[in-house]
Amino acid sequence: MSCLNELQKLIQDKYDVDPTKLDVNGSLREAGLDSLTMVEFLFAVEDHYGITLPEIPPTMDRLAELAVVVDGVLAERGNGAAAA
Amino acid sequence: MAGAVLPPKVVVTGLGLMSPHGDDPQGVFDRVMAGESAARPVFPELAKPAVAATVDFDESRWFSKLQLAGVDRVSRLAVAAADLAIRDAAVLDGIDPDQVGLYVGCGMGGGGSLEVAYRNPQMRVPPLTIPAFMPNAPAAHIAMRHKLTGPVLTYSVACASSAVALIEAAKAVQRGEVERAIAGGSEALVMPGITIAWQAMQTLATVDAEAPATSCRPFSADRSGFVIGEGAAFLVLETEASARARGARIYAELSGWGMSCDASHLSKPDVTGQTKALRAALRQAGAQPADIGYCNAHGTATRVGDVVEAQALAAVWGDALPGLKVSSTKALHGHLVGAAGALEAIITVLALQRRQLPPNMHCRQPDPECPLTLVLQPGQAQPDLETAMSSSFAFGGTNAVLIFRRH
Repeated sequence: MSCLNELQKLIQDKYDVDPTKLDVNGSLREAGLDSLTMVEFLFAVEDHYGITLPEIPPTMDRLAELAVVVDGVLAERGNGAAAA
Repeated sequence: MAGAVLPPKVVVTGLGLMSPHGDDPQGVFDRVMAGESAARPVFPELAKPAVAATVDFDESRWFSKLQLAGVDRVSRLAVAAADLAIRDAAVLDGIDPDQVGLYVGCGMGGGGSLEVAYRNPQMRVPPLTIPAFMPNAPAAHIAMRHKLTGPVLTYSVACASSAVALIEAAKAVQRGEVERAIAGGSEALVMPGITIAWQAMQTLATVDAEAPATSCRPFSADRSGFVIGEGAAFLVLETEASARARGARIYAELSGWGMSCDASHLSKPDVTGQTKALRAALRQAGAQPADIGYCNAHGTATRVGDVVEAQALAAVWGDALPGLKVSSTKALHGHLVGAAGALEAIITVLALQRRQLPPNMHCRQPDPECPLTLVLQPGQAQPDLETAMSSSFAFGGTNAVLIFRRH
């Protein structure tokens, strides 16, 4: 289950960006999230899930791409717990 | 000297406030005249009771949620107050923004952001802490909001920050470095950790449990220190010629200023240092002490500070001292630190405009060691008021005095 919907909700809660108007494959920069805001958003994502994200390349500009990375981190954490 | 040209007169053409008494300058002045205190108890969780004057601030008037990211409250207040001043003066109409200067006083920068970052138990520091905290952030945000591409400066001189900013702006306008200037300050330090820091210095007023709003008592025998306030205040300055040419409304003339440094102690004020600044301001204004009808004192209500200020006034005014009406409005709006000079300048300008004297409240028993003619009752008029003064005597020793004249 991808976290994409949750990320959309997070963006809406934090920045009042309407999910229906946010193209998950479109540029976040063009949606108004400049580089500083993106950095803050990543911090909020980490807080929300209790995870640490890997270094996100500054060129990453699409919510769908970010969701893939976050899904990956969540899956690893899930696997780690299962193995323990 | 033949052919000597007088420097151009500097006038005030705009006012903008986001203060504990509100954001409408005339309304704020009315509340101050009525002796209304904006101080309230804060942070009940602290070991020692605390009182502060806070701003009822609707950020959504100036910021979308997206725009709030990484912006400390001190910058939010600054943007709001500066915007109100800019509109009041229509100062950006018909001018190349390179020709406008911005001079902002701020004592501590985004202290709130720093406190939140360091209180985090997992040591997770929000990534925008540094740009939120940096003391030049308020000026930067104002400049970005209005595309101010001329000189944009921040003055960090503790309690004198915004008085200094006004002086530097006036000099720039007078020298022709800029055609118009926006000058003032902002401070937002009402946070638990920061409050504890002030309490630890033993400079904050002991809270009166029965009447907490009256805890700050300038020049009173039972005074015990100040109450912290937050807020932002800005004035627009330009030459009289510039104001007349564009039909701008002139509130008052900034007719003189003086600065000095005590160079003696980090927090204890010095009579000699203050008298230098007072004399310099009078000299520049071409005024005699007896010409000053009203003094908005620095008056933080500390045991030592009020006495030193009274002694400095006595040293310069001499026999004319009884004729000088004095009040400290910090009793009502608190000590706004970086924004104090500008807020108090606005109050002084409005006192001149309305020919009314802001009261020195909560002074049950004037301290005989401060033999000043205090404005003890609210609602006093001064029909012949022509010239007034506002003083700021800062931690670190810088003294700044502003003199305004009716226009």
